[in-house]
Amino acid sequence: MAGPPVVDASERTLMRQPSPASALTARSQIAPATSSLPGAQSEGVASHCYHCGEPVPTASRWRLRLDHAERAFCCAGCLGVAQTIRAAGLNAFYTRRTGPAESQARVADGSVEAAAAAELAGLVTHRDDGVCEASLLLEGIHCAACVWLSESWLKQQPGVIDASVNFVTRRARVAWDGRHATLADLLRAVTAIGYVAHPYDPRRREALTRRESRALLTRTALALFAMMQVMMFALPAYISADGIAPEQQALLEWASLVLTLPVVLYCAAPFFRGALRDLRLHRLGMDVPVALGVGSAFAASVWASVTGSGAVYYDSVTMFVALLLLARYAELRARQRAGDAIEAIARDLPATAERLVQYPQSMRADTVSAATLAQGDAIHVPAGAVIAADGVVLEGSSSVEEAVMTGESLPVARRPGNAVLAGSINRDSPLIVRVTAAGAATRLAGIVRLVERAAELRPRVARTADRIAGWFVALLLVVAAAAALVWSRYDPAHALAITFAVLVVSCPCALSLATPAALSLMAGALARRQILPVRADALEALARVTHVVFDKTGTLTKGKFALSRAQPLGAMAEADCLALAAALEQGNAHPIARALRAAALPEKVARNVVAIAGCGVEGVIDGTRYRLGRLEWVEAMLSQPLPAAATAIESEATLVALASSRGWLALFTLGDTLRPGAMHAVAALQGLGLHLAILSGDREPTVQRLARMLGIGEAHGGALPESKLAFIAALQRQGAVVAMVGDGVNDAPSLAQADVSIAFGEAAALTQWTADIVVLGADLGRVAVAIAEARRGFAVIRQNLWWALAYNAIAIPLAAAGHLTPLAAALGMSLSSLLVVGNALRLGRPRSDERSGTAARVTALPASA
Amino acid sequence: MDILMLLIPMSLVLVFLIGAAFWWFVASGQFDDLEGPAHRILTDDDSPP
Repeated sequence: MAGPPVVDASERTLMRQPSPASALTARSQIAPATSSLPGAQSEGVASHCYHCGEPVPTASRWRLRLDHAERAFCCAGCLGVAQTIRAAGLNAFYTRRTGPAESQARVADGSVEAAAAAELAGLVTHRDDGVCEASLLLEGIHCAACVWLSESWLKQQPGVIDASVNFVTRRARVAWDGRHATLADLLRAVTAIGYVAHPYDPRRREALTRRESRALLTRTALALFAMMQVMMFALPAYISADGIAPEQQALLEWASLVLTLPVVLYCAAPFFRGALRDLRLHRLGMDVPVALGVGSAFAASVWASVTGSGAVYYDSVTMFVALLLLARYAELRARQRAGDAIEAIARDLPATAERLVQYPQSMRADTVSAATLAQGDAIHVPAGAVIAADGVVLEGSSSVEEAVMTGESLPVARRPGNAVLAGSINRDSPLIVRVTAAGAATRLAGIVRLVERAAELRPRVARTADRIAGWFVALLLVVAAAAALVWSRYDPAHALAITFAVLVVSCPCALSLATPAALSLMAGALARRQILPVRADALEALARVTHVVFDKTGTLTKGKFALSRAQPLGAMAEADCLALAAALEQGNAHPIARALRAAALPEKVARNVVAIAGCGVEGVIDGTRYRLGRLEWVEAMLSQPLPAAATAIESEATLVALASSRGWLALFTLGDTLRPGAMHAVAALQGLGLHLAILSGDREPTVQRLARMLGIGEAHGGALPESKLAFIAALQRQGAVVAMVGDGVNDAPSLAQADVSIAFGEAAALTQWTADIVVLGADLGRVAVAIAEARRGFAVIRQNLWWALAYNAIAIPLAAAGHLTPLAAALGMSLSSLLVVGNALRLGRPRSDERSGTAARVTALPASA
Repeated sequence: MDILMLLIPMSLVLVFLIGAAFWWFVASGQFDDLEGPAHRILTDDDSPP
C-alpha cells in the first residue's frame, strides 16, 4: 500500500473528523458560548481534541506539535498518548484512522493488578524457553488503523517477540521474553497508546458480543419500523389514479424525510463506516456500493423535497437499509451462536474450588479461586459439582461425566488412583482429588487454546471470496458510472433513478456475507459434536476428500489385547487351561497378562512365579511347573516340538503357549479387538462414496485380518514412514484428495503430505497434535460426520455463489437498461441477500441425530441442590 | 383532508416515542436472551424454601 503524503492527509483527517453526531453537538455548544462570551469563540470550542475528537472546552494547556501543526488536546491523557505515538514514529495512525480514538480522560491504569490476576488465572502461558504468551482483548479498536497502530507498537516493546491483532475479534496474541518484560509492562504499553488491554477472559468477550448484537438489533428493528411507516406515507402516491394534492404530497414527503433521516444517520451507520474503512485501505468491499446507493439516493431525495421538484426515494432507502440490516443481524446471531458452541467448552470450568489446606491431617476446606490452584493441592469435589482441575482421585469413588472432553455422555467410574479431568462433572458422591494440572495447564484449556488459534485464522475460501468481491464491486461501479453517463445523454430525467437502481441491485452478499457465515456455522456445528477444526483450511479439504487412510491399526482397534482364541493342545480342557494361565499371570502388569486374566478366573494359586521380560512367566501350581509365554521359550523347557496344528495359524496374531513340564497344554491367540463402532464408521464412510485404506506399521497378516473384518479393500502392513509418504503421494498424483486418520502423533511427513489429517484426542498429549482436525473422544463415526458436514457446508456455499452469479447476471443488466425502479432494485437485492444468508443459516441448525444427543446430555445433568 | 396536517405529524411523534421505547428495551437487556426465559419457567423451583 502506498503511503499517503503525510501533511495533506493529516489535514484532511482533521477536517473530516467530526462525525454527523459530533458536528451536531459542536453546533449546539457553540451557540451558548457565543452569546455569553462574545469574541471568545476562537479559543472556546473551536477546536477538537486531535486524539479523541471531543471538544476542547477552554484555551487548552495541552498542546503538541504533530504532523507539522500545533494540535490541541482535551486532557493530559490524550496528550500523553499522542506524545507516545509520536515518539514511536507511528504518526501515520492519525492519517490512516477513520474516526476519533477513545478519550483518555476516563482511563485509569490498573495494569499491575490486571497482570497479576491474569497470571493467577492461568491466562499467561509460560513456555520452557522463557517465552510467555497471552491473549489480550483490546478495547477501543475501531478500524484497521487501530489494529496497525497497536500491532506495531506492541512489536516495538522490549522483549516482545511477536504480536498480532485480529480486527474481527479485537484480540491480540502476544509472545514475549519473560526475562525482559512482564505482562504488566505490556498492558501499560497498550494503555500508553490509548487502548485498554484485558488479558483474555471469555466472559468479557461475552459482554462485547452482547453489546454488538444489541446495537445491531436496535438498528435493524428501528429501520424496519421506519420502513413500514415510510411505506405508508409513500402508498398514496402509488395508488392514487389522478395524483394527490401538491400540498398533501409535500406533507407526506417531509414526513418521510423526517423518518428516513435517523435511518440513514443511525441505522445505516455501519454501512458508511464499513465503506469508509474499505476506502481507507484502498480496497472495495460490499459496503461501498451500499453506502454510495443509500447516500446518493437520500441526498437526491432531500434535494427534491427542498426544491419541490424531482422524485423522492425515501421508501427505497428505508427498505434497503432495513432488509440489509436484517440479513446482517441474522448473520451476526448465527456467527455468535457458532462461537458460543466453541466457547461452551471453555465455560464449563467452575470459578472456585474447595481446597483442603491441611489434608490429610484435617478436612477443613477453604473456598478459593480455581485460578489459584496449584499442582499438588488437594481439593474436595462435592457430588454434582464440576471438577476444577486435572487430578488423581485420592479418596472416594464416584461416577464422572466427561462429556466436555470426550463427548461421551455416559458417566465413567472413578476410584482412588484414577485420573479425572477438569470440566467433568462428579455425579454421585464426593471425591478428594490431588491436583496434577490447573488453569492453563489442564487438557481442557489446551483444547480451548487450540480451537481459538484456529478461529483466529481466516481460511483461504474466505480470503478468495473477499478478493473476488473487491473486483465485483469495482466492475459494478464502472457499470453504474457508464449507465449514468449514457442515460444522462439519452434520457436525463431517468438517469439518476437508473444509476441508483444499478448501485442498489447488485448483491455481493453471497461472497462477503454468506461465505464467512457458512464457514463459521460449519465450525460451530462440528464443535457441538466435539469435532474441532484446528487449521483454517481444514474444512475445505475435508469437503473434497475422496480417500480416507487409517494410518494405524490402533485407530480402528482398541489398542488393547484380548483373547480371541484358546486352542487346547493336550488332554486338558480349554477352561482349565485358561484358569491355569490366569493363575500364572496374577499380579503381572503386561498387556498379555491382563488379557488372559480377563478371560478366566484363577482357581488355584501359583507359587514361585518368575516373570522373564520378553519371554513369559514360569511358576508352580500344585507341584507342577508351568511355563506360559513365547513359543520358543516354552519349547526350550520341553523336548517336544510344537504340534503342527499350532504353526498353521501362527502368522495371524500374537501367540502365547502354555505348557507343563510334561508337555504342551494350550495355545492362546491374542489380538486387538475392534473399537466399538468401527464397523459402523467404516460402513458410513463407504456410504459417502469414499475409498478406504489402512496403512500401518504393524505386521502384514494382522493388518490384512483387520481389513478383512472391516471390509476395507486396501491394506498395507509393515509400512515404513517413507512408504506411507509414497503411498499417499501416489494417490494424490491420481487426483485423490487424501484424509489421514490417526492419533496425531505419527510421522509428521505423511501427515503433512495428506490433504487433511484427523486425530483422535483421547490418545495423545495435546502438545503433540499436528492434525488439522481434532476429534475429542473415541467415536470413529465422527470422521464420517465431519466429512458429511463439511460437504454439506461447501454445497451451501456453492449454491449461494451460483445463485449470486445468476441473480447479478440478470439483475444488473436489467437495472442498467432502465427496467428496474430503485424500489424494485432495493427489494431484489435485499431479498437475494436474505436468501443467501438464510441458506447459510441452515448449517447452524442442529440435525435430528444431534438434537437427541443434546437432550440426553441435558437430562443427564444432576439437579443442582 | 385538512385533518392530515394534524394526523401525520402526530403519527411521527408516535413513531419516535415507540422507537425510543424500543431502544430502551434493548438497552435494558430484554432482547439478550429470547430462549432462556421460556426454559426457565419450566425449571422454576416454586417450592417454599
